[in-house]
Amino acid sequence: MRSIQRRLSMGLVAVLVVCGLSLILVSQWLVDHALRGYLRGGLQTESENLLIALVRGPNGLQLDEQRLNPAYQRPFSGRYFEIHTGASRWRSRSLWDSTLAVPSSEGLAGRLVDGPDEQRLLVYRANYQRFGQSLTLIVAQDYNPLLASFNRMLRLGAVLGLVALVIILLLQRLTVRNALRPLETVRRQIVQLQQGQRAQLDNQVPLELEPLVSQINHLLRHTEDNLKRARHGIGNLGHALKTPLAVLVSMSARDELAQHPDVQQTLREQLDYIRQRLEHELRRARLAGDQLPGVYLDCDAELPTLCSLVRHLHGAGLFIDCQVPVGLKLPWDREDMLELLGNLLDNAGKWAHAQIRLVIQIKADHYLITVDDDGPGVPATRREEILNRGARLDEHITGHGLGLSIVRDIVDSCGGTLTLAESSLGGLHIQIILPLKKRSPLLASTPSV
Amino acid sequence: MRLLLVEDSVALAEEVQAGLIRQGYAVDWLADGRDAAFQGAVEPYDLIVLDLGLPGRSGLDVLREWRSQSLLTPVLVLTARDGWAERIDGLKAGADDYLTKPFHPEELFLRIQALLRRSRGLANQPSLRVAGLSLDEARQCVQQGDAIIELTAAEFRLLRYFMLHPGQILSKTHLGEHLYDGESERDSNVIEVHVNHLRKKLGRDIIETRRGQGYRFGTSV
Repeated sequence: MRSIQRRLSMGLVAVLVVCGLSLILVSQWLVDHALRGYLRGGLQTESENLLIALVRGPNGLQLDEQRLNPAYQRPFSGRYFEIHTGASRWRSRSLWDSTLAVPSSEGLAGRLVDGPDEQRLLVYRANYQRFGQSLTLIVAQDYNPLLASFNRMLRLGAVLGLVALVIILLLQRLTVRNALRPLETVRRQIVQLQQGQRAQLDNQVPLELEPLVSQINHLLRHTEDNLKRARHGIGNLGHALKTPLAVLVSMSARDELAQHPDVQQTLREQLDYIRQRLEHELRRARLAGDQLPGVYLDCDAELPTLCSLVRHLHGAGLFIDCQVPVGLKLPWDREDMLELLGNLLDNAGKWAHAQIRLVIQIKADHYLITVDDDGPGVPATRREEILNRGARLDEHITGHGLGLSIVRDIVDSCGGTLTLAESSLGGLHIQIILPLKKRSPLLASTPSV
Repeated sequence: MRLLLVEDSVALAEEVQAGLIRQGYAVDWLADGRDAAFQGAVEPYDLIVLDLGLPGRSGLDVLREWRSQSLLTPVLVLTARDGWAERIDGLKAGADDYLTKPFHPEELFLRIQALLRRSRGLANQPSLRVAGLSLDEARQCVQQGDAIIELTAAEFRLLRYFMLHPGQILSKTHLGEHLYDGESERDSNVIEVHVNHLRKKLGRDIIETRRGQGYRFGTSV
């Protein structure tokens, strides 16, 4: 996934560089063309002046030095001429001992010509008739100084262009960041959603994001409704099955049946078996697992009631040491988490003599939940066994195995791990690691925007 | 002891009601949540057994309404929903105990016994012990010193009520309200007769008569 910011910057840089380069090239060509056109006019005038300076002298044609531009007298001055007649040729003194290449055709030569003193010359050729003689006039002018200042201008232009590019990029970054702020807000809200700090995305978003946000909210509501409906259905099913079951259990205790102890015993066993399976499957079916973001268990609000419930079930003398960070919210479904913690505490309470310790810690990438009791503990060889469905180490204490196997179902559905060990309090130590929900790296890291 | 049983399943209600009557409780039975909300708040029940899945109104709603009207009667919630979240919701709504279906009748009776004693501020002990008497609620007899004294059902009901309210002045009307369900005839003479039977079995001083006020149990010992 590339960020929109980077993509926009890359596009803008590419467009600006291409435009800038072609602007420079085109403007170079245009200015060069205009300059040459302008200079051509000057050179033509020069050639006409030279033609006027040619006078009829005693020995035929003669060049009147008085009428010439003084620049033609100074060596390498940058202004040169040559005049070819049929018999003789004149060269300007400024040429010193070099000669000018004669352009093949009249007018301004298309290319620059090497001149004396490493000069680059613009050469103009004109053909005239004067006093009955045909003349070829070649006038040249050094183009280097103009070219140099022209290039200097171009370089300056390029530097200015670069500065402009940098400023434009910064401004664009600023604009994009402002324009993308709603996206960033939504991104942050999705992180909060996954951490269980909110249940819905904010509706106040720009028009472009509105369908996305409302769709996500709709999906959230839909999933939540589905879960509620499923749970309601499971609850109703449980109610519908358990009430007649309660009647049967109650009837199995009747005095009339006491006269047939074997029948009563079988009836009780089978009813008990139905009850266990029913409870186990219904509890499993009720688990939400990982499907719903935006849900959480508010520990401050729920744990005290849970602890008092466990104390109520296992005697008021039971001390429950709750070491949970203030304001902790476990980002999983409330019912799942209550079921998990309730079964853990209930199991510990069944075995504990006097004390249970519940510790919840937030680590870098997981939540660590440990429950200790000061009961008899479980030998290492049998620890695996009690996690299996329905297995009970002590038949007199009901539901031991069932509770822990539900705990394991919940831990599995959250992608966590469950381990048993010996507790420092003397009993069983249950450790549960619930990993934080996986999310895309873009969501996890602080973005570059 | 007069109980209200709110349960919509006729078969289960009949079963539970019969069991409770055998245990010496006067039982009123209602199947609809709306009726229960009204009658539970008006009649002087000693305990309410409330099913949560009711027609008319949900049991939790009814319970919340009672508690908001500062009705202090202990409520035992009876439900098929056995999740911890539901138990916590039940406790938060004001339930005093929570029993999930299906249950063994004995367990229900024991929970009711314990809840009644707890609501009277008596310690959780295997038998009810007040004023030198020890009441065996399972066998419906009473132990005084070393002697075990058999009781009739009516005497047992009366004695249990006295033992749960020691030292209090209880009028005949009050006793009638708490010992008979809403449909029986209440004849104060019957109570007088049973009090006299108890005095014969347990000694004259065990129940004191306060003229114009009623009876007082367990003050002389």
